[in-house]
Amino acid sequence: MRKVVIPIGPQHPALKEPESFSVTLSGERIMAFSARLGYNHRGIEKACEDRSYTQNVYLTERICGICSHAHSTAFVQAVEEIAGIKIPDRASYIRTIISELERIHSHLLWLGVAGHEIGFDTLLMYTWRDREIVMDILAQITGNRVNYGMNTIGGVRRDIDDEQKKNILKAMDKLEERTLYYITVATSERTVIERLSGVGVLPHKDAVRLGAVGPTGRASGVDRDTRRDDPYAAYDRIKFKVITDDHCDVYGRTLVRVGELMEAYKIIRQALKDMPEGPITVKAPRKIPAGEAVSRYEAPRGEDLHYVKSNGTEKPERVKVRAPTLANVQTVAKMLEDGQLADLPIVIAAIDPCFSCTDRMTIIKHAGSRDLGAMAWEDLRTHGINWYKNKGVDFSRLNEKLKKANKV
Amino acid sequence: MSLVKKIVTWARIKSPWVLHFNTGACNACDIEIVASLTPRFDLERFGVLLKGTPRHADIILCSGPVTKQTKDRLKRVYDQMPEPKFVVAVGTCSCSGGVFHDCYNVESGIDAVIPVSAYIPGCPASPKAIIDGVVKLLQSLEESEK
Amino acid sequence: MTTREEAAKTALIKKFGFLENLVRIQRERRIFIDDAGQDFERILDFASEDLGFSVLCAITGSDDGTRYEFIYHMARPKGDMLNIKIYTPRDGSRVKTITDKFPGAEIFERELTDLLGVKIDGLGEGNRYPLSDDWPKGEYPLRKDWVKKDKKPEGK
Repeated sequence: MRKVVIPIGPQHPALKEPESFSVTLSGERIMAFSARLGYNHRGIEKACEDRSYTQNVYLTERICGICSHAHSTAFVQAVEEIAGIKIPDRASYIRTIISELERIHSHLLWLGVAGHEIGFDTLLMYTWRDREIVMDILAQITGNRVNYGMNTIGGVRRDIDDEQKKNILKAMDKLEERTLYYITVATSERTVIERLSGVGVLPHKDAVRLGAVGPTGRASGVDRDTRRDDPYAAYDRIKFKVITDDHCDVYGRTLVRVGELMEAYKIIRQALKDMPEGPITVKAPRKIPAGEAVSRYEAPRGEDLHYVKSNGTEKPERVKVRAPTLANVQTVAKMLEDGQLADLPIVIAAIDPCFSCTDRMTIIKHAGSRDLGAMAWEDLRTHGINWYKNKGVDFSRLNEKLKKANKV
Repeated sequence: MSLVKKIVTWARIKSPWVLHFNTGACNACDIEIVASLTPRFDLERFGVLLKGTPRHADIILCSGPVTKQTKDRLKRVYDQMPEPKFVVAVGTCSCSGGVFHDCYNVESGIDAVIPVSAYIPGCPASPKAIIDGVVKLLQSLEESEK
Repeated sequence: MTTREEAAKTALIKKFGFLENLVRIQRERRIFIDDAGQDFERILDFASEDLGFSVLCAITGSDDGTRYEFIYHMARPKGDMLNIKIYTPRDGSRVKTITDKFPGAEIFERELTDLLGVKIDGLGEGNRYPLSDDWPKGEYPLRKDWVKKDKKPEGK
């Protein structure tokens, strides 16, 4: 059969990121896949060398707008290690609470995006509505919905008072109730299970070999979570479960994320309860003594690694960031092997690509023919939804059902 | 003003179709743009609809400081949009480059590449600010067509 | 009682005597080999196959003005990291690919090529990362002597 390679242009609405992937097709079957990354490359590592450590706290926060706390925390942890600074316990707990709040907003965001990709649009509306509960809490505690500015070298900049504590606990109860509902939808609705099972399969040994991290890896049975294995902030003092799954497919990746949501509510409750009184910051020097440190953090998407080298001045010598998506994007080719075009959007979306952590693009080529057909992401998404509709996997009924059950 | 132009303007103001283009942003503004379309903020009540292709869009909502890789595509997308078209720079990065303004792979703002009709600052620009900005743009269209 | 980190250090020095003063335990779960030299490949194999540091997290390339430093950040399941360093001259820098054992290394090696101009022996054709196709040849942004053209000073 004639091979077709389709370029998926760098502007597609669903992922909201400019990126290029190259897909070679034989009919509907995907024969090969490659990614050309680089669209979001800004030159941050170099810029870090030209800014003070404090300025870099704000710069690293803006590497990614979804896991911004992840990057700024990973950065300050490295600097604190080099300078021999031990932050107050209360600050550790506050960092942990913000981390988990970030994980919650990120996973709810992902659930909505995943729903959108497969035509389950009411899920997008409801998860993003629930997500607003978290955004409100974050804005209350930190002053901003995104890019919280909570971290400083030596601790955190704002405290959590009793009023805010009460509000957070109320929010956790509300969200837990909503998430249980989403778990029910994910595990008992036939349409969801059919649509996501056996899609984007990444066998355990390939997940290990290719270095998959976060929920993508854990859904293939890779039992790794930086919070447990290489603890930071207050995670060494908090009991929580690392969620793994053996489905090795998009369905598994969904289960892991909703499972992590449930754990996040528990972690936040524990942290609020155990958080000791005391200062939230210690003084840090402007000039950081010469040294180096490797800091790791479990961002919503997986392990985030920051390496910092200092030279005794106010500015770092070198800052290296390895965001989780850079590790996971290398597994997508394997996931799409022998898959079909209709699955491409959800498989890519299922690694929860934070391409601004990395950067991205999408290109499709037609093999066997000279012509490069261009298919916008929106067309790919529609193609996928219609392809499955023809197979009897249709979300219209479920969309209606959810609308009725959730009078907004 | 001709009748046809009046109708076209009325249509643009009553129901603008927007295209969302990320020029290398960190995503914060992009997520806030999508959030502004969800029921809580509901940009759709102003008739604003998100469209996937430049050929159907009246307004392009740009985020990001314009990395070198996105510069040409941004120009191309702009050129593909039919007149009349409007460009909204969402977020501090698209207004001026933001924290990335002196980074080596960045142009520092949308207006270095295409003409901008409205600037919505913020890091990120909140959904309320985005709605405010878009509504102001629509109002100014109404004013200018009077 | 020996810690896990000390056990790893001892095993490394036992196998590679010259590492005597080059293995450094910075803190719990952080071990550095400050210069693996010519034995890098064998040390990497030993670390990943015998000591369990089978995960490659990242490769950091830096320019200190006089030479290039490469750090291979390895990890094992219990969270310990072994960070192995090697050095090359700044100009004409070349390292051998490790993608045969660690396929995930490709993207990090491409990054070294783009940002520092390092030649990776044994790495085949592939998409460059992260710079654009029209990035000027011979311009390596992460080099210490590389300055952005028409750089505006802060505050102007």
